[in-house]
Amino acid sequence: MSSSQPRNWKALLLSHEMLLLYVLIAEWLFFYFAGTTVNRRGVTVGFGTVDRQFDILRHSCEIGLLALALTPVIITAGIDLSVGSLLGLCAILFGKFWKDAGLPIPVAAFLALGCGALGGGLNAALITSLRLPPLIITLGTYSLFRGLAEAITRGAVTYTDFPAGFLFVGQERWLGLPTQAWLFFGVAAAVWLLVHRTTFGRSFRTIGFAPEGARYAGLPVERRVAMVYILAGLIAALAAIIYTARLGQAKADAGTGYELFAITAVVLGGTSIFGGTGSVHGTLLGVAAIAVLKNGLACLPAVMRLNAAEDMSGLLTGALLLLALTGSVLPKLLSSWRAHRPAPAPSAPSPNPQPSP
Amino acid sequence: MPAAPLLELRRLVKNYGGVRALRGVDFELRAGEVHALLGENGAGKSTLIKTVTGAHEPTAGTIAIAGQPVTGLTPKRAHELGIACIYQQPALFPDLTVAENIALRLEPATASRRVDWRSRRERAAQLLARIGAAISPDSEVRSLSMPEQQLVEIACALGAGARIVIMDEPTASLTQKEQHLLFAVVRDLRKSGVGVIYISHRLEEIFDLADRVTVLRDGESVGTRQVRSSRGDEAGGPGLLTARPEPAEGSAATLTEAELIRLMVGREVAQIYPPSESAPGEVVLALRNVGCAASGVRDVTLDVRAGEVVGLAGLVGAGRTELARVLFGLTPADAGEISLRGAPVTLHSPQDAVAHGIAYVPEDRRRHGVVLDLPIAHNMTMAVHRRLFPDRWLRFGAEQALALDFIRDLAVKCAGPDAPGGSLSGGNQQKVSLARWLATKPKLLILDEPTQGVDVGAKSEIHRIVRRLAKDGLAVLLISSDLPEVIGMSDRIGVMRGGRLQAMLPGKSDPHDVMSAALGQGT
Repeated sequence: MSSSQPRNWKALLLSHEMLLLYVLIAEWLFFYFAGTTVNRRGVTVGFGTVDRQFDILRHSCEIGLLALALTPVIITAGIDLSVGSLLGLCAILFGKFWKDAGLPIPVAAFLALGCGALGGGLNAALITSLRLPPLIITLGTYSLFRGLAEAITRGAVTYTDFPAGFLFVGQERWLGLPTQAWLFFGVAAAVWLLVHRTTFGRSFRTIGFAPEGARYAGLPVERRVAMVYILAGLIAALAAIIYTARLGQAKADAGTGYELFAITAVVLGGTSIFGGTGSVHGTLLGVAAIAVLKNGLACLPAVMRLNAAEDMSGLLTGALLLLALTGSVLPKLLSSWRAHRPAPAPSAPSPNPQPSP
Repeated sequence: MPAAPLLELRRLVKNYGGVRALRGVDFELRAGEVHALLGENGAGKSTLIKTVTGAHEPTAGTIAIAGQPVTGLTPKRAHELGIACIYQQPALFPDLTVAENIALRLEPATASRRVDWRSRRERAAQLLARIGAAISPDSEVRSLSMPEQQLVEIACALGAGARIVIMDEPTASLTQKEQHLLFAVVRDLRKSGVGVIYISHRLEEIFDLADRVTVLRDGESVGTRQVRSSRGDEAGGPGLLTARPEPAEGSAATLTEAELIRLMVGREVAQIYPPSESAPGEVVLALRNVGCAASGVRDVTLDVRAGEVVGLAGLVGAGRTELARVLFGLTPADAGEISLRGAPVTLHSPQDAVAHGIAYVPEDRRRHGVVLDLPIAHNMTMAVHRRLFPDRWLRFGAEQALALDFIRDLAVKCAGPDAPGGSLSGGNQQKVSLARWLATKPKLLILDEPTQGVDVGAKSEIHRIVRRLAKDGLAVLLISSDLPEVIGMSDRIGVMRGGRLQAMLPGKSDPHDVMSAALGQGT
């Protein structure tokens, strides 16, 4: 929450975000000690190398961007399942603008961003005009966007041979960090300010807690809802460009399944799926916790022998998410149990003879 | 009658938290009687029904059924004891047939799994015939009219061997003809020895149908009167006691509408309310034949001046909240003209209304008035984002200052500006809701049931605040179902009924006149 007053220290140290930070540190330390080895030539390999850390960062950027896109959406008590598909569509359109239309890379990127915003705008228009649940609407556009991407490429075309200047964005370092990390952190800062420091963010929360209450307060509910979906589309398009630059190719199945990882990261970060509560820094921690887990597992010798990194990371991510959800619900459950217990059980052993009418 | 009454309530009390909904009700229902229950909105009628049907447990007092005291009543047990309730909106399954609906109510859940369709249908036909209803047991409930559905409910009640039938405003959505049909069935029930508790706002129905009437006021039974000399005349004979609105000097046995209304409103009015000190200024809000088909508001013409409190009285469903929603742009008007300070305006959204200086403190505090999960400060600044944060960046200092000002000014009892709205009592939540709108510096303030569910102390505080605001030149439209309040607080009183402005009365009017207009009698 963006409360201005410093809350008491105990509450701060036990907040969801802090607990997640402890988990992240524990995770990281575990993999640092268990996942780092020295090979036969005496070179340190595995988790504890700077290269590996940058690799984790590089691979987290696209899902991280989608998670950032989804945070305001989920704070308004909405959901957007279409961001992964929109990433694929925007990647294809970007490749087509550059290769088939012969446009310079910056222009193609700009147009791709516009298409992302349009895709988000389609979600927004449908959600605010049809008044159907966002889950259903974006389930529809989830298939629609991916279908369009497949149709444009006929499932066969892959755009490659991008110039080195563009690949720099996805594969090189700038000022010590992977280039795309700068974009990612820039977007993170912007979304953080939007959610925590502007009246827009305040409106998102109000809508998430009480959509009718927001309307009665004179807030422009439709416009704000539209805003979060358009923003999500825009960020998905940026993720598409970074994805293309990292892999050096734009293909129709780009970003498949990313939306689920992103939603997991947001919820793990403490944003309530029912809307209202949540934070952007929580989302960042959620993204990091999942990324470290996934990459760290791949570095464990035992897991490497079994070739089970994928399965294990899925399993542990799920367990971590359920644990976080349980943790967030537990205080409420406990207090409701306590509230119910002292009732002196006035059960109804009605002692009166039944009057037969 | 030597036999014990079917139902007897003694000193029945029901508290919801700190709110006393029933504060001592005595009520008696005899076999073969139609006993009407009458009272203003919030007098405690629904609470009374809920305790009798076992939905809520009374806090104190006794319920006796056929002479036997009953405790720990549950809906299931009430059903077993022969209590049935027919609501305004029948609670049937629309996709099932009449016979299936009746079977669902009457067949025990543990019955054998085999369905005997023939006996089901036969029993349904039998029950429907008993009340003279021409409804096929095979028709889907969806295809039935509202009164037909009510008849199915009555058939269910009969089939369950109900001895006590409660009817909650059964005629609210019926036509004249349907109403006659229903009355015939009620008279049949009476003849067969069933006791009927009949709730209605329509006095003529009570005079037409009831044997006795009990009036509730502020959760207390204030009197039971004989409507007709019960055994004397035949059912339906309207001759003896046709309604006459004059407070006639008739004999003690003759009950008049005037006496009933007097019982409903009580006598102690206009004592604690702060006096009006302001001279009305320019016309702030002018409505000319305003209507909204979607919400049932029709042909409302009304002026509200600066410094004036105009009350809106009426029964639930009279269209007062609907009118407020029109003025706040939630359901825009589709007829007539709305002017603010002489200039015609269109109000298509709450944003339009806010831009024109209209503020609306809604009736449903917890859903609309206050966002319970957000801090008080956020709630108070919610409608003034534009002014307080002109460049969209939140300024926590300014927000806290505004909240602290209002907390002090309205004496909000809270832990501080960061306490969530849900942590406050009803009266203090109402003050937060009020502060949100006062922060917009409105020209017109619409208050919808501002003191409903608020304790006595906070109530008079809110009254004083409203008076002070009017004195400072605000135009106030006060919607209230609390008759003494709307009379005591208002400079003028508009009475609504059926979406229309039925009457415009001066302040400090006789509550009798207000209630008469609200009930659609005379004036």
